[in-house]
Amino acid sequence: MIEAVRLEEVCRRYPNGAGLHPVSLSIGVGETVAIVGPSGAGKSTLLSLIAGVFPPDTGRVFLHGRLLADLAPGRELARLVGIVHQQFDLVPQLSVHSNVLAGRLGEWGLARSLLSLVVPQDAALAKRALERVGLLDRWNERTSRLSGGEQQRVALARLLVQNPRIILADEPVASLDPARAEDLLALLTGIAAGEGKTLIASLHSVALARRFFNRIVALRAGLVQFDRPAAEVADDDLAEIYALEDHVR
Amino acid sequence: MTGLRSSRSILTILLLAAFGWSLTSVDWREGVLNVQGTPALLEFLAAAVRPVLTPAFLGRAVAALWQTVAYAVAGMTVALLIGAVLGTLASGALAHRRVARFGEVVGARATLGLLRAIHELVWAWLFIAALGLSPITGVLALGVAYGGILGLIFAQHLADAPTAPLRALQAAGARPWQAFLYGRLPLVLPDLVSYALYRFECALRAAAVFSFVGLGGLGAELQLSLRELNYGEVWTLLFLLIALIVAVDWWSGEVRRRMTT
Ligand SMILES: Nc1ncnc2c1ncn2[C@@H]1O[C@H](COP(=O)(O)OP(=O)(O)O)[C@@H](O)[C@H]1O
Ligand SMILES: [Mg+2]
Repeated sequence: MIEAVRLEEVCRRYPNGAGLHPVSLSIGVGETVAIVGPSGAGKSTLLSLIAGVFPPDTGRVFLHGRLLADLAPGRELARLVGIVHQQFDLVPQLSVHSNVLAGRLGEWGLARSLLSLVVPQDAALAKRALERVGLLDRWNERTSRLSGGEQQRVALARLLVQNPRIILADEPVASLDPARAEDLLALLTGIAAGEGKTLIASLHSVALARRFFNRIVALRAGLVQFDRPAAEVADDDLAEIYALEDHVR
Repeated sequence: MTGLRSSRSILTILLLAAFGWSLTSVDWREGVLNVQGTPALLEFLAAAVRPVLTPAFLGRAVAALWQTVAYAVAGMTVALLIGAVLGTLASGALAHRRVARFGEVVGARATLGLLRAIHELVWAWLFIAALGLSPITGVLALGVAYGGILGLIFAQHLADAPTAPLRALQAAGARPWQAFLYGRLPLVLPDLVSYALYRFECALRAAAVFSFVGLGGLGAELQLSLRELNYGEVWTLLFLLIALIVAVDWWSGEVRRRMTT
């Protein structure tokens, strides 16, 4: 198995005692992995560490065999790993195409970046990405006018344009209704399967995790509770994971 | 926290006491209002219904108004240039290295502080002393003083831009100036434009006052008509100024509406 992501005893501790302590994980190229667990389990922390948003306190992160800490931020990192968040994190004042083409900034210089705000550069690439997420007709619209579900798909189109080898998604469907959630997951897993990309997504719904992903990693209180193929995850396992949360509710 | 609050209320009491004491120092018997002025005031108000509308005076008034608008527009252009450059540097958004950022921010902030510490009329006097009496003097005075204010506001808005979209851009491979172009600037641009438009109104009023340091325009005509006690002319000029401000207000509202929808 070629390793896309490798975590070695990765720790990150927050002042309230939460975080990751410690987690080791190996994910192969082309795997689709769902990270499940109650709120506060450390799912976002784990994905941020893989995306290089912040370094671990201790332990090491490798992406495609290279130590994450050695990768130059910017283009080199952007080619390896990209992330979409629950809140999409788009710039609402920009046009849809400018938000999508922001995924190309790692490849562009100053002149091209500036020019693209007026005359879209690499437009064919952006059009293909928008077509894929079904939003080509919104090309020129101001992003703030799109619905939450549409903005989530614009964020996905930006990721397609960035074209990283590892795709991370932090609760990508948390703000979508069930039908749209399934559409988006089908899209995400379809992209991963079609282009041999590695997909790691955190999810709240275990039912969706079992349906769309081939491996499930359950986190609880910053530790891996279990890690096995989706087909082998039993209902009992899930009851155990969410027991904590049920107490809280 | 409680210490801060109690020292704040002590300050409030001191200020109220100072205000009360200042009232006792006014000599109320002399009359605060100039009683002899009342007929003049009535005459002035009465003139409002008969502004001077002779072609000759209207021509002069419109020319003066035009000059004032020209001062304000040119001054705001200079102010926007100064504000954009210094405001961007002072926000610290572009520098990579910490040392460079510190130097830029401190240098730009100090310059901005100096520019706006001095009132535009004082800048006008300074420029008259240096360059003599010319339209450039008024434009520079307005541009420098307002550039300091715009730069400060621009820097604050840029520094307070929402961080999540910026982090997303960085994660997509954007360098700081790319994140500036595709994130920080568009995120705060409506606020910047809105503030600049408000400042443009202020610039119109400031430009009208420039006549008092010898630069022509609406203020000079006002001064002249007041000296001649020609209240009809004064009202003509005031109505023109009001119409101008209303027009600018309508226009800036339109621009704001278009930017936010
Ligand atoms: N930046 C931070 N500072 C302090 N505590 C944090 C921070 N981020 C997350 N935490 C804490 O770490 C815990 C795990 O957070 P997170 O990784 O977001 O969990 P999840 O995504 O599974 O809900 C939470 O309890 C949260 O309080
Ligand atoms: Mg989370």
